[in-house]
Amino acid sequence: FHPLPWRQRVAGGYMAAKISKLEEQFQKDAPREKQKDGTSSCIFSGVAIYVNGYTDPSADELRRLMMLHGGQFHLYYTRSKTTHIIATNLPNRKIQDLKGEKVVRPEWITDSIKAGRQLSYVQYQLYTKQKGLNYSSVCARGKQDPSSIHEPSKPSLNHLQSDSIKPQPSHTQTLSTEVLKSTHANHKANFTERSNHQGSQDTLLTNGYVHPVNAALKPQDSFAELQLHVVDTGSHQSHLPQTESRDREEPSCSSSGSKANSHQRSLISTASPAKQPGLHSIVRLNGSYHMTPNSSTLADSSNPPGRSAAGAEAGIISEFFSRSRLHHISTWRNEFSEYVNALQSRSRAAGGAVFSGQEKLKKLRANCSSGVLSLWFMFVYLCSLMAAPQVRQSCILHVDMDCFFVSVGVRHRPDLKGKPVAVTSNRGPGRVAQRPGANPQLEFQYYQRKQQQYRKEKTDGDLEMTPSPQCDEVPSNGVDLDLAALSMAEIASCSYEARQAGVRNGMFFGRAKQLCPDLQSVPYDFQAYKEVALSMYETLASYTHNIEALSCDEALVDATNLLVELGVTSDDLARAIREDIKEKTGCTASVGMGSNILLARMATRKAKPNGQYFLRSEEVDDFIRGQPVSSLPGVGRSMSSKLTSLGVSTCGDLQQLSISRLQREFGPRTGQTLFRFCRGLDDRPVRSEKERKSVSAEMNYNIRFTQVEEAESFLTNLSMEVQKRMEGAGLRGRRITLKVMVRKPGAPVEPAKYGGHGICDNFARSVLLAQPTDSGQLIAAEAIKLFYAMKLDVKDMRGVGLQVQQLEGSYADPSGQGPSRGRSIKDLLLAKQPAHSPRKDPPAQGRSSVIRTEFFKSITPPSSPPSTSSDPMPGTSKGGLHHPHTPNHVRTYLNVSIEVPSPSQVDQSVLEALPVEIRKQVEQSWRHREEQPSTSSHLSTPPRTSSSPPPGPSLGTLVLQLQNQPGQPCTTGIILELPDVSQVDPEVFAALPRELQDELCSAYRNKGNAQAQGITVGKLKRRYKKRNASPAKKGPSPLKKLFPGNSPAKSSPSKTLPLPLKHPGLKTENVQCPSSPSTDVPETLSKFNPRPVPTLAGAYEFSDIRTLLHEWVTSISEPMEEDILQVVKYCTELVEDKDLEKLYLVIKYMKRLMQQSSESVWSMAFDFILDNVQVVVQQTYGSTLKIT
Amino acid sequence: MATLTRQDLNFGQVVADILCEFLEVAIHLILYVREIYPSGIFQKRKKYNVPVQMSCHPELNQYIQDTLHCVKPLIQKNEAEKVVMVIMDKEHHPVERFVFEISQPPLLSISSETLLSHVEQLLRAMILKISVCDAVLDNNPPGCTFTLLVHTREAATRNMEKVQVIKDFPWIVADEQEVHMEEAKLIPLKTMTSDILKMQLYVEERTQKN
Repeated sequence: FHPLPWRQRVAGGYMAAKISKLEEQFQKDAPREKQKDGTSSCIFSGVAIYVNGYTDPSADELRRLMMLHGGQFHLYYTRSKTTHIIATNLPNRKIQDLKGEKVVRPEWITDSIKAGRQLSYVQYQLYTKQKGLNYSSVCARGKQDPSSIHEPSKPSLNHLQSDSIKPQPSHTQTLSTEVLKSTHANHKANFTERSNHQGSQDTLLTNGYVHPVNAALKPQDSFAELQLHVVDTGSHQSHLPQTESRDREEPSCSSSGSKANSHQRSLISTASPAKQPGLHSIVRLNGSYHMTPNSSTLADSSNPPGRSAAGAEAGIISEFFSRSRLHHISTWRNEFSEYVNALQSRSRAAGGAVFSGQEKLKKLRANCSSGVLSLWFMFVYLCSLMAAPQVRQSCILHVDMDCFFVSVGVRHRPDLKGKPVAVTSNRGPGRVAQRPGANPQLEFQYYQRKQQQYRKEKTDGDLEMTPSPQCDEVPSNGVDLDLAALSMAEIASCSYEARQAGVRNGMFFGRAKQLCPDLQSVPYDFQAYKEVALSMYETLASYTHNIEALSCDEALVDATNLLVELGVTSDDLARAIREDIKEKTGCTASVGMGSNILLARMATRKAKPNGQYFLRSEEVDDFIRGQPVSSLPGVGRSMSSKLTSLGVSTCGDLQQLSISRLQREFGPRTGQTLFRFCRGLDDRPVRSEKERKSVSAEMNYNIRFTQVEEAESFLTNLSMEVQKRMEGAGLRGRRITLKVMVRKPGAPVEPAKYGGHGICDNFARSVLLAQPTDSGQLIAAEAIKLFYAMKLDVKDMRGVGLQVQQLEGSYADPSGQGPSRGRSIKDLLLAKQPAHSPRKDPPAQGRSSVIRTEFFKSITPPSSPPSTSSDPMPGTSKGGLHHPHTPNHVRTYLNVSIEVPSPSQVDQSVLEALPVEIRKQVEQSWRHREEQPSTSSHLSTPPRTSSSPPPGPSLGTLVLQLQNQPGQPCTTGIILELPDVSQVDPEVFAALPRELQDELCSAYRNKGNAQAQGITVGKLKRRYKKRNASPAKKGPSPLKKLFPGNSPAKSSPSKTLPLPLKHPGLKTENVQCPSSPSTDVPETLSKFNPRPVPTLAGAYEFSDIRTLLHEWVTSISEPMEEDILQVVKYCTELVEDKDLEKLYLVIKYMKRLMQQSSESVWSMAFDFILDNVQVVVQQTYGSTLKIT
Repeated sequence: MATLTRQDLNFGQVVADILCEFLEVAIHLILYVREIYPSGIFQKRKKYNVPVQMSCHPELNQYIQDTLHCVKPLIQKNEAEKVVMVIMDKEHHPVERFVFEISQPPLLSISSETLLSHVEQLLRAMILKISVCDAVLDNNPPGCTFTLLVHTREAATRNMEKVQVIKDFPWIVADEQEVHMEEAKLIPLKTMTSDILKMQLYVEERTQKN
């Protein structure tokens, strides 16, 4: 709880009076103090401080000092008046709540007094982290996400404006880029070069540091007076004094303070509204640098996966991409999977695909046969028919490019063909194919030496290291391939010629050079890899769409049907494919064929290089017996060493082991898989779409924390990254696993590889959430909890990873279209990008942080009191829905954009329960939909159109406008009201399904005697399906209303999900507090998650519930129907969840609370709740609760 | 993190063992707390690190043991929905029913740290709740007896007919009279949720006991 805003809110008149009285007192005391103490001044005029927590000197002393030196001392924090918060330490909670307040260490005051002038508070800011926090969070968010952490920066923006430093977003934007361009042309050049991901590390350190200054100068740039200073400033240090001198010139502290402030923070505040991708990535870079030394890689980890940087932003962002080779490439797999999916869905849409390659093959065959006698053709045809059953036995092609990186690298270098070539990361920014000269070699040797030293250390120390042959060559393999990209020069891929000389992938270049002196190096060329990979996939896709993307250079093709259809042999097909690939890409591919995936992959080994091999079923046994076990998929180093200890080295040996033995050794599943694999049995299908099992983000490079806070903020950032990845995949997960690499006790503190993780112990801990989530904040909160539970020494942490498992789709897929899911989300995202960038104007942006995670959900962002304008969340609206409302607007509109499900999907009771206006709009939208059946083509989203309220109607959404008089709470009745019969649109009525019509009819019949007081509640209770939570606040009224956004009803009627119930007291805290993600209550798909833990407004621990209820009862004089229904629903869920104990506790607690309440309404409310609960209990258990 | 599944370890059996052990303790304790038998036949023991009362009447103990022995296979197969201890007055009308409602999650995945000690804590809490349940219940009329019922899921009863765990100790279908209680009040005592087991204990009490 942040006490400050709370106090303020509750305070009302009393507090205001008190505060002003205190101020008066202060003013009165001041002269007296001054008299007492001769040394008075007015250096602090205009400064008003608020002391938070323990400080040295104490609050009293500070108060005295402020009196003496012309400042103000506030006992209570008022945002508008207090200019500085003085604190030596703030709890994390409060730090998170900071919204641009200046938190300064008390030394600022004492030093200022000593200096006899007001010093710039900048150096005294308690949180340089405050800044770092902001930066890094910016960097962790996606480009188009207005993130919650932008929020802190927003007030500072406002602040700036109030001080007439008005950063014009567009203006500053251009300015800043100019500055950047001019001062760091060099650096920028580095960025745009894609291949230098190595060398830029050094430059980063220097240049990166300069960036924030420049960026920070932006606002001042536009501020004419300062311009001179600014342009000349090259570094932070030189700039500081200048600002200080300015401060001296200007007595008004608040303005100077905020200028200095702008210096610190404007970077974000201007950059975020500007929303220029390029800028953002700079911010990202800066932020990451600033935070900790390790963060340059954080930026890397925070790159959105699977999103190819498009257009202008490509330069810088992709530079970061390329900094992590593995990450970079690993994202491709998803991309290609999606590509294949897209092809498939497109072909489905087109009602059949045209396979050019297939056609060609057919033609080829036709040519071939026309050249010969038609009888021959007939014969072949018959043969193929006869052979069909055999072919039909299924044929999988494993297409693998031959040493992909190398062959792509030498594509246009005919001089290198046939020579030993290795792809390594080159030093030096983005120079093209540079031969390893003297300098890099020196470095390699240095590293080599260091490596040896390190190894010596290891053997000297008491560490147990299993000497493995690989260890000598590949000291850091496996996990940190990722790092390899950053390390000096490990070989990513080498040509077959080089392999003959003993060079291996992953080897240090220096060593490789020793082995093979004429080894040539080729730099990375990610663009080319991508091109080639894409054209390979295109080629494959021209034959069939049964493709499983394995990686950028590897794919599986299920050719079973294709072969039958074409009547060609698999060899012909493979040849055709290979020729095609060779022709289009200039690189060779090998194809392995077999009756299943395993065999196909094994055949590829034999096929390589540049060949093809069909492993016939009769050869399988002989073939596989000779294969080493390590060639089996899933048999890695540890397993093969285990197998070796069992005396198994080939699959033939493995076949000797019984299944029970294997299962005993390796666990039931692995055992069985091994048993089958070593016999060449594999029943995995070729899956063009792979279900993701987990989403994770991991970093084990350059993790060096010094303080717990750093680890925390790192976790937060990592969570944000995970969130982004999950959003990208359209998934949510329930299990969160925190993996930590900790320096092994005894291992050297600084590992050989610069920034590497060295020898580590791995720890993992996981937690199962009540509901699936993709909210980064929620994940962060859990991760931090896990982190603390692990009780680690942050200094020894070397790697951190977050993984989310137990995934499910993040939104209701009404059409049940599984396959195109991933794609369609992406499409939507892409489609949306242009649409909402224009709306990124400052007032509308920044507060929807929590909300935006819900992609298809209708949510009204909780608009904060000062401005009641609400913006429709980015995800749901496609048009430019935006209503700027002035804060003083008497009526506040709540725009809830809701996807309207088709009439048949709407539970009538829900519809009934909606307020009249909403219902009408829903109905209206149905009507619209009927009129425009043509809108149905959108991928997997149900056809819907919007009703047309005044603002630009958007396709696909319905905008609900609710008008509420502030201060006039909507009380009972609204929920169960039916519109007047005359108002029912007959058309709509006719459109309703039969039963609904009946229900509606009977409802109208009953309407006469049905009073508002929840008569249908009994019915509602079980059928109240709410997925969409739209908590909204109304201006000055403390009451909040919940809008049961109706949702595409899922099939199971008993499936309910709690609607967040929000209470004023928890408003600011709760929304952002990860532990009660009111707006984040995930829409759960009933089929995935049959029983979510019942929650009330996101709370599910009893203590939270209790707080919530307490807030509710104490802060509101008259309960609202919706809230009561929420509670009833929650209780009902508890019954269904068989958690009577909690129910009992809740009921008893409410009884105590509500019956004590002076308002009789509350005890009526309790009776009502109790009655309803009793009915449910009676139904379930045959008896009622005993309430004493 | 070691994640075990139902197959890895004979889960049903583990759960059944834990649960039956608990039920035995709980039943003894209820008998003591509800004063079905004179307190003289009970001895103080320690279980789950808390004091419990256990009868030392051999036949009574045998009955409880045998019953639970027969319940065990049901729990193992996740076929027992409720285990009910019915306390009846002289006329064999139930006055109180202690219902142990058991449900095992269909998908078991256990992370190593949430194993037995955690379950034990939960069970201890339940035991403690039982020992103080007389505070929320009215006194029973004198001369009460008790019986144990099992509510099975689906067709489990048919199998039970076929395989008698203990000879001459067959199950019989409970009297409607024993199962059903007029004007009952429900008092939830405790709910526990763990990875392997979800159980709640509540008491149904007849409104008019005398």
